[in-house]
Amino acid sequence: MRGPDVTWYLALAGTLFATGALGVLLRRSPLIVLLSLEIMLNGANLALIAFARSLGDGSGQIFALAVMAVAASEVVVGLGLIVAMARRNLELDVDEMTTLRG
Amino acid sequence: MTAAAWICLCSPLAGALAITLAGTRISPRLAGYVSTGSVAVAFVAAVVAFVAILGKDGEERVAESTAWSWLTAGDLDVGLSILVDPLSVVMMLIVSGVGALIVGYSIGYMDGDDEERRYFAYMALFVFSMLLLVEAGNFLILLVGWGLVGLSSYLLIGFHHERPSAVAAAKKAFVMNAVGDATMALALFLLIYETGTLDYFPNFEAADGMSSTVVTLVALGLLGGAVAKSAQIPLHTWLPDAMEGPTPVSALIHAATMVTAGVYLIVRTHPIFEAAPAIQDLAAGLGALTLLVAGLIALVQVDIKRVIAYSTMSQIGYMFLGAGVGAYANGIFHLMTHAFFKALLFLAAGIVIHALVGEQDIRNMGGLRRLMPRTYVAMLVGALALAGMPPLSGFFSKDSILASALALDSVWGYVLFATGIAGAFLTGLYTFRMLFLVFWGEPTPYVREHHHAHHGKEGPFSMTSTVAVLAMLALVGGAIQIAGIWHPLADFLHESVEPLVEPTVTQDWVTSLIAVGAGVAGIWLAWWIYAARRAAAPHVPWARRALEHKLYADEAYDVVFYTPSAAIARGFARFVEGPLIAGSIAGLTRGFREVGLGTGRIQSGYLRSYALAILGGVALLALVFISVR
Repeated sequence: MRGPDVTWYLALAGTLFATGALGVLLRRSPLIVLLSLEIMLNGANLALIAFARSLGDGSGQIFALAVMAVAASEVVVGLGLIVAMARRNLELDVDEMTTLRG
Repeated sequence: MTAAAWICLCSPLAGALAITLAGTRISPRLAGYVSTGSVAVAFVAAVVAFVAILGKDGEERVAESTAWSWLTAGDLDVGLSILVDPLSVVMMLIVSGVGALIVGYSIGYMDGDDEERRYFAYMALFVFSMLLLVEAGNFLILLVGWGLVGLSSYLLIGFHHERPSAVAAAKKAFVMNAVGDATMALALFLLIYETGTLDYFPNFEAADGMSSTVVTLVALGLLGGAVAKSAQIPLHTWLPDAMEGPTPVSALIHAATMVTAGVYLIVRTHPIFEAAPAIQDLAAGLGALTLLVAGLIALVQVDIKRVIAYSTMSQIGYMFLGAGVGAYANGIFHLMTHAFFKALLFLAAGIVIHALVGEQDIRNMGGLRRLMPRTYVAMLVGALALAGMPPLSGFFSKDSILASALALDSVWGYVLFATGIAGAFLTGLYTFRMLFLVFWGEPTPYVREHHHAHHGKEGPFSMTSTVAVLAMLALVGGAIQIAGIWHPLADFLHESVEPLVEPTVTQDWVTSLIAVGAGVAGIWLAWWIYAARRAAAPHVPWARRALEHKLYADEAYDVVFYTPSAAIARGFARFVEGPLIAGSIAGLTRGFREVGLGTGRIQSGYLRSYALAILGGVALLALVFISVR
């Protein structure tokens, strides 16, 4: 097996995941939140593929492909929602959108 | 023979189903024709069965037919079976014959009613139920017919469901009948326990071998059912109220057929009653008591239908008396003639009510003799037959029952006989009181105002023709059995039931003389007071009040059953329902609401706090997994 050890890949995946999570938690613009979510998903994908390579089992890669497809659909819906909000001149701030308060 | 009986049974059911399924797609008139037609087919089938049975002798006259095994539980196997024997064929003829006439009469009587189709479907259903009852091949099918008859009676009494009094009367009839159904069911359970079967003949054969306690209890249970269905004391209070139904219903169900089911039951299960002589005496005694009490109450009734209703109770009392002393054929004979003349009286009364736009109070009637001469003749025939005047049908049948009581030749027999004679006097009195008040004298203002609508015609053809047929039957129907001269009916029934007593010719003559004398005396007294008006009716306020309250039977039931159970129910409502059941429900809802409000507060609506919670949860789970491993 050539290339760096699987640990490095996992470290990068963890960094990506943490970056995305921090983005989701700290940023208030829905656009950035969505973007950060994608980064988290990519971190997870990277971990899946790394393990798949290291264990010699293809199913992890299939998982990654499925996650990408779902992520693409999710982005379509999410971006559509954001565009709709912008069209209606709503403030693009997740802390202002609290209608579903209990 | 059995095939004809099956057709007889199924035809009215098919008629009822057809009318129900066709709904508003057929005209009300057509529904009437379908109903009448299906019952007429049943009558024709009954005649075919009758002819077939005449062509056979002895044992062959009794035939059973089972469609399929209907209920199997352990060793108990009950088939959907019918029993065709002389007794059931006679009943089939009466039920379907009188039934066809009365349903046909209804075509005219119910014309223009809003719910005519429903009425005709119910009528056909009733005839089916009654035929099932009389053709039943075992006790269970008998009980099914018994219950169905009660149901259709309930539906028809409450036919005018927009009238609260009709609904109350229907409920009352149903509850009273349910008491009888329950005692009958208990008797059936005892039979299953004792013999393990519900077929008639094994039980009849086993009746002699049972311990006297068991057989007495079984007979008592059966008698309870008979008493409730036949409106005998003490379960009699529903019958007068049942007059809330349309008049043809009163004629068919509450005079001619259903209320005589009790008599049929006693005759059908006579081996059980014979094994329990105490219950036989009780049946005869209840009959005697009822015929006297009902006759007394009828004296003060002012509703034309109620007078006839009480006379029905009284006449069924005679039948019970006859069945109780063992004169089964005479009881069935009276059942048959009674079906003729009582249906006649009701239907003629229906014509009167029809002509007077629904008026039923005899104090508002009078002088109808000149306005409705043919109805008057019909009513007169019915009244004379009811009062037992020779040579009309009631004379032969009633006197044969009384002669059998005399033939017992015991103190008890003489008591029953004397009661019957007193009843004959009362019958003449109340029947002709009604007749004179309605038809004699001068027309009252009410009659003058309302009657002129029907010039020259006393009713539609369907009504007058059926009344004419019934009048003929009431006139000559008694001739099929003349005491001491010939008795084809008793001979025909011989294969089903054998009489326990056989009056001598002298006893027959003595009875007839005394009974007719009593009847004539009653009629003469009615004429003296109500037609000639030579004397006022005796004025005894307390007696009149007691009779108008039907001897306080309703009030007694109210005090004994209704008031305590209502008090218990109120107690439960106050102490159990309120604090325990409603309270616990209220507590539960309050708890759920609190929990809901509490969890609702966590939902802040801030997206990022949700994200943090999810992340925290995932981190926690990861920690747990790692540490557990």
